[in-house]
Amino acid sequence: MTIAITQDDIVQGALDAASSPPSVAPPKGQVRKDARRDLGPVLAGNAALGLLGIAFLIPLAWIIVGSFDAKATWGIELPHWTLSNFSAALADGGLRSLGNSLLLSVTASLVSTVVAVMAAYSLVRRRVPWKGPLLLVVLFLSAIPVAIIIVPVYQIYVSLGWLSILPSALFLGVTSLPFEIWLLKNYFELLPVDLEEAAAIERANTYQILRRVVLPLSFPGVAASAIFGFVNAWGSFIVPLVLISPSSQATGPITIFGFMGAADVRYGDIAAFSLMYSVPIFILYGAMSRFFQGGFVLSGGVRG
Amino acid sequence: MSAVTPAFGLDVLGKPRLSVPTGRRKDRARFQWGSLVLLAPAIVLLLGLFIYPAAYAFYLGFTNLRLIGPTAVHYQFTGTANLQTLVHDGVLWNSMWITAVFVGGSVVGAVILGMVLALALRTATRSVRVVAGGVIVVCWMMPAISAGLSWYAASTAGGTLATILGTSSSDFLHSAPLVVVTAANCWSQTGFVMLVFAAALRNVPGEVLESAKVENASAWQTFRKISLPIIWPVVVTTVLIVVLLSLGNFALIYIMTQGGPLNATNILPVYSYVQAFSFQDLAYGALVGNVLVVISTVLAAIYVKLSRVRI
Repeated sequence: MTIAITQDDIVQGALDAASSPPSVAPPKGQVRKDARRDLGPVLAGNAALGLLGIAFLIPLAWIIVGSFDAKATWGIELPHWTLSNFSAALADGGLRSLGNSLLLSVTASLVSTVVAVMAAYSLVRRRVPWKGPLLLVVLFLSAIPVAIIIVPVYQIYVSLGWLSILPSALFLGVTSLPFEIWLLKNYFELLPVDLEEAAAIERANTYQILRRVVLPLSFPGVAASAIFGFVNAWGSFIVPLVLISPSSQATGPITIFGFMGAADVRYGDIAAFSLMYSVPIFILYGAMSRFFQGGFVLSGGVRG
Repeated sequence: MSAVTPAFGLDVLGKPRLSVPTGRRKDRARFQWGSLVLLAPAIVLLLGLFIYPAAYAFYLGFTNLRLIGPTAVHYQFTGTANLQTLVHDGVLWNSMWITAVFVGGSVVGAVILGMVLALALRTATRSVRVVAGGVIVVCWMMPAISAGLSWYAASTAGGTLATILGTSSSDFLHSAPLVVVTAANCWSQTGFVMLVFAAALRNVPGEVLESAKVENASAWQTFRKISLPIIWPVVVTTVLIVVLLSLGNFALIYIMTQGGPLNATNILPVYSYVQAFSFQDLAYGALVGNVLVVISTVLAAIYVKLSRVRI
């Protein structure tokens, strides 16, 4: 997905939904009455969340049960417990495709983050002609779904002889670039300019300022940007499907999709692989929410 | 934005400075060529692999380019031939209708469910919030391949849904394919909407809600008259984001149905892909893609306009 949420509070809020809402202290003397009246919303909230939570679990049931079921089908039943699905899913080219996914996603994330840091820094701190229109174009591009330009990109890649994993990573990097530029722009704007000016007085060059001052201070933003780039490439289906031609370079989603068309479909392997493929994303989003809960520790850096 | 010292202000002695300084402004950073070096990689990449392909697709749409065969290499401009095919292509018009139903259904479902969940998060007890909220966020985070396969398994004959409803032989991907894929897309976007709305609701000032309480306003009145108007801009932007995300959700549908059965779930990106890579008509696939480019350009422009960004 390459769609942007461009407000800081949304990005930040999106990461700690579980934190408690602002509580309203009841006025004195009415505590008991209010406490009784508040029971309704609590029950309603619990009921809504609980019921929807269970409903949302229904499609997930198969992927969890099937992964551990030695005799899995598309159906759901009490599993014959086993862990062999996981090893079987990795055996038949599965492990290699996970490696390919890793290569694709790390490259895409690296490209987009490095380029986005440079661009966002320049847009925030430097005098750039047509800065406003440029930022609007970037915001506009962040909303365009990738799937719609896959045909021309395929044709360009054919003529360049680029139908392989690293050029595909480059394209995936470009698709997450607009959002990352916005994310980092919003982040850099919050940094106090004083530290950079101090570094400039000490004759630090732009690279040194970026490397020694800006990047350490904006670590959460840069990490979020890198994670976004990684997740965007990791989950991508149409780009590796169309742009990666050698089957030895197929990524995880393409390999699992191939499992479905096999002569004898091994349902357990499909479930196990789908589950394994989701885990890195859960871990990365978890890590991201930790960075943001740490928040900014900037005020201590600027004194006087 | 970096802080900018105003041109009008106090001089060193603290007296108001009334004259407007003439000449080049000195309070802004000077233009440096180095800035372009920092900006160049982003501009080159976005131009070369995003904007140029979109423009190139408009040319390709009017050629006889095919995936394989003689016109794969030596293709030429064919004028409005493809356009005439497009106008008379019943599958395409059907596909646009299906896209509208898919996108519309997903947006309505995801926004209503997301709002209900965001409101429920405010009052529910902590354990319910963490567990149920966690499940819904996990559904959103799942990669398309895992989400698509889960829904395929749940809705096919003998799957979880059929088992729960006690009609184990019914195949919902056959009897109601569009409903199933729309529900699946809605399922995978609701967590996102919930998180955005929860963040927006947290910005509603507590004092206002408190005074509503003092006035004995019902929960519905408080939501309808206070919270909703305050977060309305976020709601509108979120609707647009979900529309654009659904419009580009090729993966989920392709994994579940490949656009079938009998084109019943053939949304525009799937149709474009099928024309280009299954029917090997790259030019026509590009043309169908252009229809999508036009639609999403309009939507993305509205999105930029509504974002009312300060630059």
